[in-house]
Amino acid sequence: MNPDRLPGPIAGVMDRLVDASAGERLVVSVAALITAILLGGIVTLVAGVFAECSTPMLGTFCYNPLAVYRYLFLAPLFDSFVLQETLKNSALLLFTGLAVAVSFRAGLFNIGTQGQLVLGALAAALAAVWVGPAAPSGPVGGALIAVVAMVAGAVVGGLYAAIPGALKAYADANEVITTIMLNFVASDVAFFLVSAYFQKPGSGSVETRDVPAAARFGPEIALVMAVALTLLITYLLWGTAFGYDLRTAGIQPDAADYAGVDAKRMVVTSMTLSGMIGGLGGAVWVLMSVGRWVNGVPSLGFDGITVSVLASNNPLGVLFAGPLFGSMQAGSLSIDFQLGVPRQLVGVIRGLVILLVAMPEFFRTLGVRWGMGGGR
Amino acid sequence: MSAPAVDLRRITKQFPGVLANDEVDLTVERGSVHALLGENGAGKTTLMNVLYGLYQPTDGTVVVDGEERTFDSPRDAIDAGIGMIHQHFMLVEPMTVTQNVVLGDEPRKWGGLAVDREAAREAVAELADRYGFDVDPEATVGDLSVGERQRIEILKALYRGADILILDEPTAVLTPQEVEELFDVFDELTEAGKTIIFISHKLREVTAAADEVTVLRDGQNVGTVETSGVDDTELAEMMVGREVLFDTQKSPIEAGSIGLAARGLAVEDDRGVRAVDGVDIEVAEGEVFGIAGVDGNGQSELVEAITGLRTPVEGRVYLGDEEVTHASRRDRIESGMAYVPEDRQARGLVMSYDLTENGLLGSQRAPQFADGGRIRWNDAAAHAESIVEEYDVRPADASATAESLSGGNQQKFIVGREFARDPDAVVASHPTRGVDVGSVEFIHDRLLELREDGAAVLLVSSKLDEVRSLSDRLGVMHDGELVAVVDPAEITEEQLGLLMAGEEPDDVPRASRRNGGER
Repeated sequence: MNPDRLPGPIAGVMDRLVDASAGERLVVSVAALITAILLGGIVTLVAGVFAECSTPMLGTFCYNPLAVYRYLFLAPLFDSFVLQETLKNSALLLFTGLAVAVSFRAGLFNIGTQGQLVLGALAAALAAVWVGPAAPSGPVGGALIAVVAMVAGAVVGGLYAAIPGALKAYADANEVITTIMLNFVASDVAFFLVSAYFQKPGSGSVETRDVPAAARFGPEIALVMAVALTLLITYLLWGTAFGYDLRTAGIQPDAADYAGVDAKRMVVTSMTLSGMIGGLGGAVWVLMSVGRWVNGVPSLGFDGITVSVLASNNPLGVLFAGPLFGSMQAGSLSIDFQLGVPRQLVGVIRGLVILLVAMPEFFRTLGVRWGMGGGR
Repeated sequence: MSAPAVDLRRITKQFPGVLANDEVDLTVERGSVHALLGENGAGKTTLMNVLYGLYQPTDGTVVVDGEERTFDSPRDAIDAGIGMIHQHFMLVEPMTVTQNVVLGDEPRKWGGLAVDREAAREAVAELADRYGFDVDPEATVGDLSVGERQRIEILKALYRGADILILDEPTAVLTPQEVEELFDVFDELTEAGKTIIFISHKLREVTAAADEVTVLRDGQNVGTVETSGVDDTELAEMMVGREVLFDTQKSPIEAGSIGLAARGLAVEDDRGVRAVDGVDIEVAEGEVFGIAGVDGNGQSELVEAITGLRTPVEGRVYLGDEEVTHASRRDRIESGMAYVPEDRQARGLVMSYDLTENGLLGSQRAPQFADGGRIRWNDAAAHAESIVEEYDVRPADASATAESLSGGNQQKFIVGREFARDPDAVVASHPTRGVDVGSVEFIHDRLLELREDGAAVLLVSSKLDEVRSLSDRLGVMHDGELVAVVDPAEITEEQLGLLMAGEEPDDVPRASRRNGGER
């Protein structure tokens, strides 16, 4: 992309963004958040005009933006259900956000975290069910089953991501297209496998048997694992030769070639690593959230893309973006049944927050990639 | 007397770290064909982008038809009658010729609500007819040849009322036959009073097609001459230029065994065209083998094949006794090959990394800096600091990012890093490009030190004085072939110029193949 083809005003703004200092970027982010809150408030008010309710505020407005925001941002503090949901969402989004961030760092747009997570979750559930009877009883046995399940999830997620990696490296197939397509394949294959072979007897929905209760854990343990994994990935990226190769291949592929990085192998390896983290997320979803694989896996993989972009693809940034996104998601559930504000409207507000906060950083990243800024 | 069509006065364009244009004057007469000649990176395209409103000049004035103008965007330049045809065409392939030509400027009907296809077709047909273009307005662009597509681009510019046409390396993508046709189009256009400026680094095309030629070198206007009164050799000399000749002290040393060799090497460029065709080179240990030539005659592809960035289609590469034709970059680095790449900002440095990280580029897995894959950042930082100090890189700060350094300092850092590998073989592409005079001498001395330590050095440079003073033997490349291997001490600049232009001068002092470093 030649930035000189951009219209002047847009190029100017992008140059300015690229040149912005850390302080300025923080100010931009805060300003974006405030703008998003104001805009979302207006949307809420206007939507309330068209809604039906018994006691409209000021006789016109059905929805109170302040109440909505109180729930959206602060609900975990006063609502224990929302707190639990927040913790669970945060942990899962840390896994998927990290998975996406690793691939983006390597210059690969892995949109397939969802599919890798779905298959990883299935592998984890099946492994736990299979190993369950053989494991000793008690917490040690439970931990053993959990470890086996998570390894299975990581392996299957990694292998499934290796497919688009290999397709890109050796057949020049764009990974955005292949990973999106493989998401559908993953859902349908999982659905078929479970309904044909692993169906829980007597259940009306498509789901596997329950994993042994001893193998399950709460969100606190999941969070600890997620944070530990974040630190591990951070070290891997910035402390090791492998991470150096991966980052160089992502930022400047020509320089990576020059430095002796095997570009094809790096594509496959980094996709596999990304898929392993996604698959691990799937295992955690099974063990922590549902206790079995059940059809209709939430869109954790796609939300991971948002989390990663919000965090500028920085693993440490994911530590903040994941919980922010997770708590808003949990909050929107309770807004629905506490305030009667439809979930879809809350989705709009959440989208506004993400969009406005993420976009300056997103365009800055693009600008850096296109070599803008610096008084060009 | 009418004002010149284009009059650029003291145009300066400063990019971060690069002075792309340095007070360039350019006057182009109405109705003439004017060529802009220079090597890659001489500032030709930048200058034309300034004229076309893509860049704002840092300093200087743009005068078009005697009127001083400021172009904020190409839109302003188009309104002033300037059209530019870029090297990469901007055409919509599934659409017809007519649709492409009028795109964004369609004739309207029904009060501007609909495109008047009939009027558009007539306008395009009329335009093509007037300038003798043989194109079918209804043809789909995707079905057309490259030469035809180029004519569609020219039609696009003419449709928008261009009187001055800028073409960026128009012949680069054409077959020789299509080049002839393009030059016929030039004639038609100038007869109709249009003015043409085209960018090229091919001498023969410039003398064949242009009335006048302006040569740019390192962002400066070296001179403007009429093509009728100049020959290829003089132009080649103007392009590569003469630098202050340093009295480099070169001690005679024993020629060792072969340290680096290419045998029957054939390499294709990105377009699949054979850029290197049957090149044989043997560089002895303790020898500097220079390669001179006008840029774009296969030097880049040759270097990439030797260093492992490009797979040759034929022939073999040897490092010492070992064949490395298909060895990976990593293997070559670990076997002791240092490489100063031509493109420092794309390959030689990761621009957003700091110097500590950049100092590792290529040796990120070397035991010096990493054990078992874990990088020892303290050692890496110390390494970067020692390069910075020894090569006088400014700012002297290992935590500065590469992009914050000027081009010359970036180059010094790369050279320092590569020479610090204690290499057995060195491939240096334009090692002193953009480097200040004092540092040039320093880099030359280091290079000769490596030679004395017994490294086989392959030096590619477009600076004639550099290759002549440093090389033990000097190969000249033209059109993908090594046309001669000469004795750099005996050859005259004129003979070198002729060889570079593909001529065959008399009494060339050939260098015998294995007399290596005996001088």
